[in-house]
Amino acid sequence: MIEFHQVKKIYGTQTALSVENLQIKQGECVGLIGNNGAGKTTLLSLILDLIPATEGLVKSKDKIVSKTEDWKTYTGSFLNEGFLIPYLTPIEFLEFIAGLHHKNIADVKQFIADNAGFYVDNMYEKKYLRELSAGNKNKVGILATMLINPEIIILDEPFANLDPSSQSWLKLKIKELHANGITFIISSHDLRHVTEISSRVLLIENGLIIKDTHTNPDTLQELENYFQPQFS
Amino acid sequence: MLSSLLIQQWKEKTRAPYWQKSIAINIFLIIIALYLIGNMLFISFFIDSILLDIFPATEVVKSFSGILIFYFLTDLFMRFFMQPLPTLSVQPYLTLPIHKNNLFHYILIKSIPNFFNLIALVFILPFYFKVVCTTKPAAFCVAWLITVFSLVLINNYLNFILKKYMLKRPSFIIIFILLIAGLFYLSGAEILPVNDYFAALLWYVANHFYWVIIPIALLIAIYALAFRMIRENRYIQNQQQEKKRNLGNFSVLSNYGETGNLLKTELKLLFRNKRPKSTLYVSLMFLLYGFIFYTNEKYINNYPWLIFIAVIVTSGFVITYGQFFFSWEGSFFDLYLVQKISIYNYLKSKYLFVSFFGILSFIITLPYAFFNIEIAYINIAIMLYNIGVNTIILLFFCTYNTKAIDLSRSPFMNYQGTSASQFLVGIPIFLLPLLLYLPFSLFGHREYGILFIGLTGFVAIILHKYLLQYVEKQFLSRKYKLAVDFRKK
Repeated sequence: MIEFHQVKKIYGTQTALSVENLQIKQGECVGLIGNNGAGKTTLLSLILDLIPATEGLVKSKDKIVSKTEDWKTYTGSFLNEGFLIPYLTPIEFLEFIAGLHHKNIADVKQFIADNAGFYVDNMYEKKYLRELSAGNKNKVGILATMLINPEIIILDEPFANLDPSSQSWLKLKIKELHANGITFIISSHDLRHVTEISSRVLLIENGLIIKDTHTNPDTLQELENYFQPQFS
Repeated sequence: MLSSLLIQQWKEKTRAPYWQKSIAINIFLIIIALYLIGNMLFISFFIDSILLDIFPATEVVKSFSGILIFYFLTDLFMRFFMQPLPTLSVQPYLTLPIHKNNLFHYILIKSIPNFFNLIALVFILPFYFKVVCTTKPAAFCVAWLITVFSLVLINNYLNFILKKYMLKRPSFIIIFILLIAGLFYLSGAEILPVNDYFAALLWYVANHFYWVIIPIALLIAIYALAFRMIRENRYIQNQQQEKKRNLGNFSVLSNYGETGNLLKTELKLLFRNKRPKSTLYVSLMFLLYGFIFYTNEKYINNYPWLIFIAVIVTSGFVITYGQFFFSWEGSFFDLYLVQKISIYNYLKSKYLFVSFFGILSFIITLPYAFFNIEIAYINIAIMLYNIGVNTIILLFFCTYNTKAIDLSRSPFMNYQGTSASQFLVGIPIFLLPLLLYLPFSLFGHREYGILFIGLTGFVAIILHKYLLQYVEKQFLSRKYKLAVDFRKK
């Protein structure tokens, strides 16, 4: 589904990301782990063509993402607040996104009803997105990725700022959608969440993928050991 | 304590992103400021002879004291629109172990070194040293100066109070403006010689030294009021403002596919955010420019002037809004890059959006044709040109304007998002129509010149698809650069 071929992203003299070869197959749920500045967001931004690769190619469904726009029809993404229109209400925002994918208001209302567990209380309030708390903004952004019947969903630290019950809901939702064959690429700092939901874990450090493994019962322990602070 | 606050204040100013980013704009602004200061100095030095001309029977110091009332009214008016409330920057200090009252005093005192107070110094001091000091006794001079500068500072703090109060009730702004205009009118029409009353007051205080206690007490009272206002408003940001909102949804546009969806969002951008909304109001004032020029014999039959005015009255909104086409959406530009939006439709929605306002401006200003029927022809031509050519020029040049705009801030004295390309883009917008017109007028066929401008616009409108595709190519080549710069806040 997603392929990286000899991709490098260089800022000035610093290599932010260097990926020789990465294949993400349809139906995988990939968790990205790494410290701040490791290159997680850079990797996600390259898939979404938000930044150009310095070298190499990123493909989505065999098409180069910077050359075509086909991927936009089946890719749902939410990286940060910059993906929300601050002066719309949550409903209006979802309607806007739905409209781009030829859905109507009835579809949006049905969608909200189906996902009532995540964010429904404030959904119909006349508040603009810019006035919501960080957690509620995230919820709207995450819902928007699922609204469009995507084949792949890309999320950058979706659990940050979420309240406990929303975190559990989101985990279940991701598992459910994953079971239905939707591909996920999710970055997170929470090792427990990542190992719980993903079928494959990529560990990134200093712009390199240093570990690529299928999730097994030992993965969480391995990762925890890896990130253990070294006191001397 | 105070010194570290002041140092941080200095850092805030010098490290502000706009200051570091656009040196050209800052130099431009400094030149304008120096020019204004120079003018004020000049006026102040020579105002005695001017006043002697206007009021030959009155002592110069007295007539100057009289006109100061107009200065103060104008000053208050200008401050009201241009001087910002200095409240926001203390947020990080509120939880630190600093006595809160000190912080509020600090906010109020740091507002003193500003442009308006500087102008007051420049306007008053030269006259004071040249005329007042040389003709009046020392006690008078001291009392006069204390009174006048108390009034300057009263204006400084009165502005904050008025502002806070009127932001809650916008209708008061109109009353405020009418009041000031009314005072000007009454004394101009010699119904109520406000300046004479004011001069008499000032005179009395200056001649009875102990009366200076009155202006000083007034200043302290206003300061105390401002202090209380700031203290009461310190929590205001945390309060959830439950405003009744009348959300216009423009749902008619939902039936027009992707372009309609984008137009709907753009309309909401315009009406729901402070800065674009103020831009709309400012461009309404452009519509009124006609009254200044069309009523003047000098301009009414001068075609180049009429063309120039037509650009201002029919294209005001298109230009003021269009110069920030992409910058308005700077804070969520990434969304548009990853969503299923065709760039062509995105550009077309902007094209249609400003075209609609261009046509609207034309219709509103059509009654100007009563001054001279030719105005109607010229405005039609310019409107066509504006829609056909100017919008494309603006869209093209906006791909170079990579500064995002904070939608929630006021546009007055706000140069965020402004870059050198804005000044450059003014050249084709104002000069090209004149250039198109010129060859015809040289051969004495000025009506063909107007026709040619209109025709150019018309052809450009017919060809808009190709022009937009050209802009699309340009946009695609610039999109990463735009996106990268918009992400820098």
